[in-house]
Amino acid sequence: MKGSMFSRRHLLIGSSALTASAIFSTKVMSAAPPASPITPALIEAAKKEGKVVWYTSVDLPLAEKIAKAFEAKFPGVAVRVERSGAERVFQRIGQEYASNIHACDVVNSSDAAHSIVWKKGNLLEAYVPEDVAKFYPAEHKDPDGMFASFRIWVSIIAYNTNLVKKEEAPKSFADLLDPKWKGKIVKAHPGYSGTIMTATYQMQRDLGWEFFEKLAAQNIMQVQSSADPPKRLALGERAVMADGNEYNIFEISEKGGPVAPVYAKEGSPLIVGPTAMFKAAPNPNAAKLFCNYSFSPECQQLIIDVGGLRSVHPQTKDKPGRTPFKDIKTMKDDPAAVEKMSDEIKQHYSKIFKV
Amino acid sequence: MASVELRDLTKRYGTVAVVDDISLTIEHGHLVCLLGPSGCGKTTTLRLIAGFIEPSEGEIRVGEKLVSSPAHTLPPERRNMSMIFQSYALWPHMTVAENIIYGLKLRKLDRETIGKKLNAILATTRLAPLAQRYPGELSGGQQQRVALARALIVEPETLLLDEPLSNLDANLREEMRFEVRRLHDAYRYTTVYVTHDQSEAMTTADLICVMNGGKIEQSGSPEEIYDRPRSEFVARFIGSSNVIKGKGLDASRVDFAGTSLRCVGEKISSGTPTAVSIRPHDIAISAAQRQGENIVPATVVRQVFLGGNRDYMVEAKDGTQLRVLTAAGENIAQGSAVWLHLPPERCRALAG
Amino acid sequence: MTLAIPAAPAPRTFGIDVSKPVLYGVAAVLVILIVLPLSWLFVYSLTDGKGSLTLANFYRLFTESAFREPLITTFIIATSSAFICCAVAAPMGWLVARTDLPFGSMIRALVTASFVTPPFLGAIAWEVLAAPNSGLLNKIFRSLTGAEQDQHLFNIYTLPGIIFVISCYTFPYVFVLVANSLDRTPGELEDASSILGGGRWYTARRITIPLVLPALLAGALVAFLQAMTLFGSPAILALPAGFHTMTTKIWSLFQYPPKPELAAAASLPLLVLTVILLRAEHMILGRRGYSVVGGKYGAPRLIPLYRMRWVAFVLCMLVLMLPVFLPYAALLNAAFSPVATTFLTWHNATLHNIQFVLFDLSAASLALKNTVILGTATATIGTVIAVVIAYVTARQAVAGWRVLGFLATAPIAIPGIVLGVGLFLSYTRPPFVLYGTLWILLIAFVTIALPSAYQQLQAAFRTIHPELEDASRILGATRLRSLWEITAPLLRTGVIATWCFIFVGVMRELSAAIILFTSETKVISVLIYDLNESGDLGAIAVIGIGMLLITFAVVTAVNRIPGFGTVRFRT
Repeated sequence: MKGSMFSRRHLLIGSSALTASAIFSTKVMSAAPPASPITPALIEAAKKEGKVVWYTSVDLPLAEKIAKAFEAKFPGVAVRVERSGAERVFQRIGQEYASNIHACDVVNSSDAAHSIVWKKGNLLEAYVPEDVAKFYPAEHKDPDGMFASFRIWVSIIAYNTNLVKKEEAPKSFADLLDPKWKGKIVKAHPGYSGTIMTATYQMQRDLGWEFFEKLAAQNIMQVQSSADPPKRLALGERAVMADGNEYNIFEISEKGGPVAPVYAKEGSPLIVGPTAMFKAAPNPNAAKLFCNYSFSPECQQLIIDVGGLRSVHPQTKDKPGRTPFKDIKTMKDDPAAVEKMSDEIKQHYSKIFKV
Repeated sequence: MASVELRDLTKRYGTVAVVDDISLTIEHGHLVCLLGPSGCGKTTTLRLIAGFIEPSEGEIRVGEKLVSSPAHTLPPERRNMSMIFQSYALWPHMTVAENIIYGLKLRKLDRETIGKKLNAILATTRLAPLAQRYPGELSGGQQQRVALARALIVEPETLLLDEPLSNLDANLREEMRFEVRRLHDAYRYTTVYVTHDQSEAMTTADLICVMNGGKIEQSGSPEEIYDRPRSEFVARFIGSSNVIKGKGLDASRVDFAGTSLRCVGEKISSGTPTAVSIRPHDIAISAAQRQGENIVPATVVRQVFLGGNRDYMVEAKDGTQLRVLTAAGENIAQGSAVWLHLPPERCRALAG
Repeated sequence: MTLAIPAAPAPRTFGIDVSKPVLYGVAAVLVILIVLPLSWLFVYSLTDGKGSLTLANFYRLFTESAFREPLITTFIIATSSAFICCAVAAPMGWLVARTDLPFGSMIRALVTASFVTPPFLGAIAWEVLAAPNSGLLNKIFRSLTGAEQDQHLFNIYTLPGIIFVISCYTFPYVFVLVANSLDRTPGELEDASSILGGGRWYTARRITIPLVLPALLAGALVAFLQAMTLFGSPAILALPAGFHTMTTKIWSLFQYPPKPELAAAASLPLLVLTVILLRAEHMILGRRGYSVVGGKYGAPRLIPLYRMRWVAFVLCMLVLMLPVFLPYAALLNAAFSPVATTFLTWHNATLHNIQFVLFDLSAASLALKNTVILGTATATIGTVIAVVIAYVTARQAVAGWRVLGFLATAPIAIPGIVLGVGLFLSYTRPPFVLYGTLWILLIAFVTIALPSAYQQLQAAFRTIHPELEDASRILGATRLRSLWEITAPLLRTGVIATWCFIFVGVMRELSAAIILFTSETKVISVLIYDLNESGDLGAIAVIGIGMLLITFAVVTAVNRIPGFGTVRFRT
């Protein structure tokens, strides 16, 4: 109809334009907030608050080093490190928030599923440090800007070099089931350690629960935190660890301790430790400053050099003497699945290992 | 000074009446003694008067003011009384002087007055050289005097004494008996004195109340209690006494071992068993047969020479044993037959 | 001698008597302290997650092996511990109290030292000593006998290992009860036997031992209860050994997602068992309890041991190696050594651990501050409440004093972790949300400390004749005034002892603290537990030694404050 103002073609164009803009606008709305750099104003505001409370399951010496480095760079803002196993961090935050206590500013857990739970519960503040926006690959940051991968590492097999010769050492998880390792293995517990929770999920997915049932028959020494098995190896208490943090092994061996890593043939479970800040943080500006610092190349290099961890930041360098990260076969991580299955994993594990 | 009045006072623990329906009036300035064996309720009565215990029934009045009743009991600190305890209760962490002036400090007197009163009482009780010592360093007698001084310095309306002499040795006890009476005469407080020792009671009291099983058996002056006991219990408790059990013949006679005894005292009912009390030194004993009223034949069972007198145990025809005290002169051998004369005015028929 | 006849009596002023309100107030506090958490415990145990009434929690408790096995394990541990404690402590107590054992007072002091050591610290020290492969003792064994690398003499990560460690730190209770009872047995009773011809062993068998049997039984019961309700040692040793006890199981029920209903239901069997055993102890001991028996009995004659003296002494010292010497040596080793289970030498000694704790461990100073604040506050408040209640029951000063006495001892029946759960349930909900503050920890610690404080002060009260207060009252002082001027000074040593006892108890308390703390209110015991979780044995050793030093320092200092130490009177 030639006479009307709005021809069908116009309508079509118009409606498609509307639809397109609608699509674009939702995308714009769910996108993370813009990248936030460290500004003098932020530093001032943080100094006024004076401190930041960091709940973390990062190894204690490393956590304290990061705290000291931050305090040196930003004098006037103190860091209070509250370190316990990731599951206990999670439990504590749950307890505190249920009682309306907001003590924690920034949290770093070794159980990536936790961040998903907190995000779902609307507890996290969307904040994207500049480094994350610029340098971090998409799979290592939350699309809504709630958290990003502060550290990654693997859970590995390892052995005490005084007690085990390199040729005899196990090369795969299947090797651990050999009767010659009975009574000689130490491993950590998914009920207490986020790392082990994630590792257990990946291992039962790829190797099946039968693997764990057979492992239980090896009279393993059960400890709690994933930082404990490497230390037990160093003490000489056990000869082999079935899971535990790669970074602790580096820390000990690089100081001359008698431990060495093994990257299992089946693949080593990949652990991601995201950092997030809370909406109800008592010291929000200090929290933002600390978050920003955490993802900076300086801090990330620190976690590699001092902590033996791996970093996602492309401007960091692997330490010589360690197997480069790209050369390690890892299992695939899936925090959403861990979040769904965590209770079931704990129950099943407790049933098999009796604790 | 107030008088203290107990009216129908009863205290029960569970179903047992430790103090059973006691009525007693203590006049101004009198010293009344509650005398009795242990368990008779005398200490409980004292503590009721002091206000440490509440009565189950009855009342206590001090000078017309009601201080104790089952509904309300004025606490001890408000009664303006003073008490000397059996254990003296001297505070071991305070000196003698501090012990004594404790009550004055509570009354917020100024230091000068306290000093004057302290010196006065220290002089009276002869404690001046011991004022800075601690109770643990004193002898029993000295401690007792400190307790006395502490109680008297506050010039109470009523003074209560709970067996204050029982911890002293015999000589000191005798001396202190007179001291207590002397101080009472000087200060003229209304005093209630609890003891189980009859010589203390006889020495110090204006009025003696003999208590037994929670009740007052008899109250009266020392002479009355001694000469005219009204019940077997009182007779036995005060001075030693023989109690003869016989059968009443008429209003003034009792049949005992074949002899018709004329007695004084309580009214005797014919045909009922009656107890008669007579003191050992009132009975006359003779080896020669005697005739007359109230003569009872008996046999000597035992005889002891005590220096100043002789102590005989004789047995009457019905088997009753009597004790007789005589002058040392008459020496009658064991087994001899004797005749006893029981003077009628000294044979007291007893109630119940 | 002239005597002044006094004029009108001096005027009396009466202050307001606050005795009754104060006494009733304290009673009310007591009721709230104890009744509130217990009621919430009962409520939760009978509800499911959605709030409806159910017995399902108890059903699960007794049918699921995940709960039944810890119950059985706990029972085995408690019984074995009690038996071992009696077998060791009774002869030692007899040797110290009744024979001419040399250095008897030093042995008593060392037993006190083992009492002051927190059981969880002892457990960690024994890990360093007796872990099957890295333990110091096993290393010595291997080097002495040339045994294979994986052979060991001791394995602390086993059921016997746990029983051993628990017994080490529970035996002081039995020792103290037996030794005290023997101290108080009048010498005349044994003299009477020997006059009649009984030799010293015969007398010991027929007279002394039967007299002390009630104390021994009471000690066995206390040891059983302690072993049953410990949290720290099992938490540290049982997991590597591969099993749960009831206390660690309850603790595990607080992991995410928390199951407070099951935790409450699991707490109740502990509670019921404790109440039953306490009734049994009461019936055995009767009303004697811990009171000092007055009277002028002579001191007991000591039995001479002749040549056995030194053998006995060596045996006692060997026993004391286990809770005191070896663990303290292990802690010192761990504190100054780069790796806890490497032997300390002049060459490898390092101050790194101390540096770490003092400078790098940011949570340490806060934990220390919290612990000292809580220790002081708990000791002071607890002593005051205990004094008032002991007074009320000793003098029967208010109606219902019997109930007060019962309530003051009731918390003994509540295991620490159960109390923690009950308090958590009570104070994480409006109107009183105390969770996250130091107040909730204060409440927990006061409640836990009250029974022993009360019993100690009750015993002290019994040595003070009631007439001392009556004498004060008749002269015009109120009850409270008399309590303050007369009784309190005479109680000085008892009060000081109680204060120190409570302070020490707070430092070693873990079972309630582990449930109630938050990052702001962490205490040292929880810090040590956290550090053990991540295997930082060196830091634990430093903090543990520091803790012990602080405890000894406080106890010594309090006894030296002028006016507090020796009392000036003579009796």
